[in-house]
Amino acid sequence: MTPTRKRRLIGVVVIIVGVGVAAVVAMKALNENMLFFVSPTDVKEQAMPVGKRFRLGGLVTAGSVSRASNSLAVSFTVSDGGESVDIIYDGILPDLFREGQGIIAIGALNNSGHFEASEVLAKHDENYMPPEVADALKKAGHVEAET
Amino acid sequence: MSKQSAGTAFTALLRRDFLLAYRRRAELLQPLAFLLVVTTLFPLGVGPSPQLLADIAPGVIWIAALLATVLSLDSLFRSDFEDGTLEQMVMSGQSLSLIALSRIVSHWLVAGLPIVLLSPLLAMWMNLPGEGLSILLQTLIIGTPVLSLIGAIGGALTVSLKRGGQLLSLLVFPLYVPLLILATSAVGAAVVDLPYGGQLGLMFAGLIAALTLAPFATAAALKLSLS
Amino acid sequence: MNRLFLFFHKTGSPPWFYNFSGKLIPWLWAIFLAMTAVAMYLVFFNVPPDYQQGETIRIMYIHVPSAWMSMMIYGLMAIMGIIALVWRIRIMEVLVISSAPVGAAFTIVALLTGSMWGRPMWGTYWVWDARLTSELVLLFLYFGVIALYNAYDEPRKAAKAASLLSIVGAVNLPIIYFSVEWWNTLHQGSSFGGDGPGIHPTMLVPLLLMAVSTKFYYGANLLSRARLTLVKQDHRKRWVQDLLEEERP
Repeated sequence: MTPTRKRRLIGVVVIIVGVGVAAVVAMKALNENMLFFVSPTDVKEQAMPVGKRFRLGGLVTAGSVSRASNSLAVSFTVSDGGESVDIIYDGILPDLFREGQGIIAIGALNNSGHFEASEVLAKHDENYMPPEVADALKKAGHVEAET
Repeated sequence: MSKQSAGTAFTALLRRDFLLAYRRRAELLQPLAFLLVVTTLFPLGVGPSPQLLADIAPGVIWIAALLATVLSLDSLFRSDFEDGTLEQMVMSGQSLSLIALSRIVSHWLVAGLPIVLLSPLLAMWMNLPGEGLSILLQTLIIGTPVLSLIGAIGGALTVSLKRGGQLLSLLVFPLYVPLLILATSAVGAAVVDLPYGGQLGLMFAGLIAALTLAPFATAAALKLSLS
Repeated sequence: MNRLFLFFHKTGSPPWFYNFSGKLIPWLWAIFLAMTAVAMYLVFFNVPPDYQQGETIRIMYIHVPSAWMSMMIYGLMAIMGIIALVWRIRIMEVLVISSAPVGAAFTIVALLTGSMWGRPMWGTYWVWDARLTSELVLLFLYFGVIALYNAYDEPRKAAKAASLLSIVGAVNLPIIYFSVEWWNTLHQGSSFGGDGPGIHPTMLVPLLLMAVSTKFYYGANLLSRARLTLVKQDHRKRWVQDLLEEERP
């Protein structure tokens, strides 16, 4: 083999081995537990310290939203099926905020165990359909979203 | 002249780079001084509230490290390019990827490692909680070599341009996004006792991938700049 | 193999490319305009308002195809970049740098329409949502390619550097995408699976039409830009001189 050829071969082998090893390491890392938000169950289990900011994610419990009559203050409950956490928020909720909808709240627990949110984010689901179809689906029990 | 083995050439280049770095030590201190000054500006700018500083600490320290690295990248190949050394290196018959790698290694040792060593001081200034410090050090040890590796591609692409320095940051910063996200999220997770092994693992995978791919891309870019 | 080489050689020759693309471009424009007209008619007169998003759903028909194009074009640039650097085909270099402004424009359109939709729906023009953020990073990658190309004096060297950068960027793009997705997404992963009703057919058809028509727009725009760049680069060469002679009355 000529030196250039040999060098090129070494280069190709190095790239294949390196990328392969990197892929294996990445796959292993992805299997580890990585959290982007904390679920209500985690909040209860890990006893989050008061005043520590974190992101809380969950579904808004149906019937839990109550708004103050004279201000923007609103309180509601999010749950992940198991535990639930009460959230207090003073501000404008996004249009897509609905009961049953998934939301992420950013804030911290206060002394009485409520989560005081400084920001609430909502995400639309990935279904696009006319209102009549949504109604029909809702009757059939497919979609829980409130319109 | 008998042809040297790749290993000898590699160490010879490293030794030369260290000697040069030692002779130009004032130049090397600039990015580090920059790192300290930028970090100092944050408490002054956003207020000295310990809680606020602790919240933004991982991000601030990492962004300062990014800026300091990019500042030192412009000179990575420039003087060798301007005085013709780079051309001689290409003609030496040694693999250009290997030459690039040795240059990257020495860059990390003189520019990246000092950032790691200074970070406890920065963490203290930014009021980073104690749990965060060891993980901040780990992210910096894994992450700063990646900064040098990816940055070298940008440095090689812009070396023949007159005002390459400004362009370099535009080319390189978007590529640093995943690293910044993973590193700050690992530190943030450690502070609130969430698991962070996954983030570190992904950063390590990134380091391996960059280590194998970046020298080749840098060599291609250097060849292009010299053509 | 020989035929493949011949094909590359032929398409690789500037005069042939110039003539061929000149014949192709009007057709591409025509198909683009026809499809867009049909799609826009459907969007404004046939698509019903959405059950949650109301009338704002119409923004989707510009937004989603633009976002798709912005990513596809960057991927294509990397593929053409590899061909340009490995087989040294000049047309491919020209195509890479001609793609960049079109891709950047689609990215800007996707970002603007996205924030117009976000204002009523999310309550803010801009959130650091995963898709928005990765789209913004993509825009910076496009800017990088364009800026690098313009920084060189020598057009061929510039195109090669831009090709190399777009390859490096494309290797990083999925990593950026996943890391940003994971960093901040408003998705509630498991609660909405893939088993939802998805998108209704009356709403889907115009979206698909737009998705196809934008590709024709890209083709037409790309070829026009590439022709212009070629003529500018080769303005002293024989074939361009001949061309100018023909144009002269």
